Amino acid sequence: MQKVTRREFLKLAGTAAGIIGLESAAVGCQVAGQVGGAGPQPAPEIPMLGIWPFTGAFADVGPVLDRGMSLALEEWSYKVIGRPIKYVKRDDETKADTATRRVEEAIETEGVKYVIGPWSSGVALAVSEVAKRRKVLHFFSGGTEDISGKRCHRYSFQWAAHAYTAADTVVKTFLRENPGAKRWYLLIADYAFGWSLEKYLKLVGEKYGVQVIGSDRHPLGEREFSGYVSKAVGARPDVVAMVNFGQDAIQAVRTFYNFGWQPKQPLIMSWSAGVEELVQLEPEMRENVWVGTNFYYTIDTPVAREFVKRYRQKYNEPPGYAPAAAYGMTRLVLRAIEKARSAEVPDVIQALEGWEGEDLLGKMSIDPRTHQTLRPYFFLRCKKKADMKDQWDFADLIGIGDTPQPRELNECQDIGPL
Amino acid sequence: MENLIPTLTVQVFNGLVVGMLYALIGIGLTLILGLLDIPNFAHGALYALGAYLLVQILGMTGSFWLGLLIAPIVVFILSMILERLMIRPLYPVGTNYVLLFTFAVSVIVQELIIILWGPVGFSVLPPTMLAGSVELGLFSYPRYHLFVMFVSVAVIFALWLLLERTRYGAIMRAGIENKTMVSALGIDVYRLFTVGFGLGAYLAALAGVLIAPIRGLTPYMGVDILPFAFVIVALGGLGNIIGAIAAGLIIGVTQTLTTQFWPQGSTITIFAVMALILLTRPQGLFGAR
Repeated sequence: MQKVTRREFLKLAGTAAGIIGLESAAVGCQVAGQVGGAGPQPAPEIPMLGIWPFTGAFADVGPVLDRGMSLALEEWSYKVIGRPIKYVKRDDETKADTATRRVEEAIETEGVKYVIGPWSSGVALAVSEVAKRRKVLHFFSGGTEDISGKRCHRYSFQWAAHAYTAADTVVKTFLRENPGAKRWYLLIADYAFGWSLEKYLKLVGEKYGVQVIGSDRHPLGEREFSGYVSKAVGARPDVVAMVNFGQDAIQAVRTFYNFGWQPKQPLIMSWSAGVEELVQLEPEMRENVWVGTNFYYTIDTPVAREFVKRYRQKYNEPPGYAPAAAYGMTRLVLRAIEKARSAEVPDVIQALEGWEGEDLLGKMSIDPRTHQTLRPYFFLRCKKKADMKDQWDFADLIGIGDTPQPRELNECQDIGPL
Repeated sequence: MENLIPTLTVQVFNGLVVGMLYALIGIGLTLILGLLDIPNFAHGALYALGAYLLVQILGMTGSFWLGLLIAPIVVFILSMILERLMIRPLYPVGTNYVLLFTFAVSVIVQELIIILWGPVGFSVLPPTMLAGSVELGLFSYPRYHLFVMFVSVAVIFALWLLLERTRYGAIMRAGIENKTMVSALGIDVYRLFTVGFGLGAYLAALAGVLIAPIRGLTPYMGVDILPFAFVIVALGGLGNIIGAIAAGLIIGVTQTLTTQFWPQGSTITIFAVMALILLTRPQGLFGAR
């Protein structure tokens, strides 16, 4: 065998990178081939796209998002207003360029008019632009305030609580339980979601007398948190509040634990997936961890009880925020189609605007001015290992907040025309 | 300001811990590259496999120490079988085919991990005797992190002894320098390849085991670490073991010190450092080619 020269090494690395790209594309196509519903498809069917991260930084969440959307469609027996629903799936790879390309492709080849997802805020903002240009309805759940803020338009809707609502619930409930813990250190994921929540944690914190003594932003997909944790611990705050998600949040909690922060000192996961993240941490690591989340499986509403029951029966575990969001968004779109008695996008958008009713989280509504879903946000306190009734008994629900973003802070000046 | 010196010292410690782990992974990769002339794209997957085998052994026996001992050895044996039965027949066909094959192995191992252990990640607690922190005067530091640093140093020192002070090590070094000459001396160079591949995989798996209580496990952990491993190989010089150690430490310390002053740049800086060094010294820090 001949030796590999530097030039050859770089060429080989390039070849491999190309292969990785091809493999990712293959995953996207393979997933795209899976279509829900059974039996002959009477025309005209309604194609609905779930654009989920089956690969990339949020790859672990993609399959559970898919579960949530599938459960909602199953509940409607893949039919609405007498027309069959075709569930189209695409892998966004947690990348904006891939997501927009695949949404465009699904619109072209499948005739998709409803787009649900993706999961990352940064990716969703790019998809939202496609929805606006191609005039398809887009429902998203995530931390960026821009979907219902400065980049609002008639075609995109936000299901997750507004970052303001989340920040208010987190700060208010935490201080109620820990009145003396006023010196906060923030650890923020450096992208759209992190920036939104960081802004409101600081703003709301000021209202409640919180002093932010330091903050750091880390790149999405960070795996080495020892530097951040050392810095935060060195600043000697009363509490560290994290604004990150998925593996970033899980890895940060682990590192704080390894450095002896919790259980002695409190750690807040301000915007957590709940079950999907907590299950990846040992009970010892969760002790004195406080969790803000858009959904927890003990929420006591008729729709949530039924959803949790069916999810547990089917998957043998409780749902977290991700499947609940996919389920909740799909439900709202289906209910709006029923309300409009039409599957035409403008009719369904008008049916959603100003909608009010009982749904997954109890009383919910959609602000017609911003397309923000007005709904509660939840705050949990993780249990000690000895207090857990079973392996899924992660936390107590200790606070619910639904303070909406004050109108003067909203940057959606004009939601625009259809 | 008064906190800056202890904080910087902690960051250097953090950098050395993570740097030693990077070095272990990098040495394994550079050893395989030096001997077999293939950039082993399965290296990340073997690292992940080591970590998952630890979890399996931990679940079966409750002993972290058994996992630490056995998991890398299992990967060592599996890798030698892989090299002997599947990679060796591809040598005459060309490096491109071997590269493609190692890429296929990486995907297969990752998917097998998902099938066997599920797509959801795990956390692993450090063994009880290594839990908690040690007071080091200016600051306290996690006991397990110090353990990782000492084990990594010990393993790298043992490897150095093997390569520099044993006949087999001398043959291996000669194999890296000139395979044709080694072959001409009547030494079975293919056996050398098998052992070299196994040894490289052992180091990757050991790094995976050691890092498990620090970073936890996900099926994609191999994909996450692979770019760092290649940066270390390129920075240290292709096939150069001392270079891999130096590069691992440089990358580790750079990463954690950047976190102190410019957190958003902690990942970019690593690649910027690599680009800078390669521009000024294209053969890498210790490379001769």
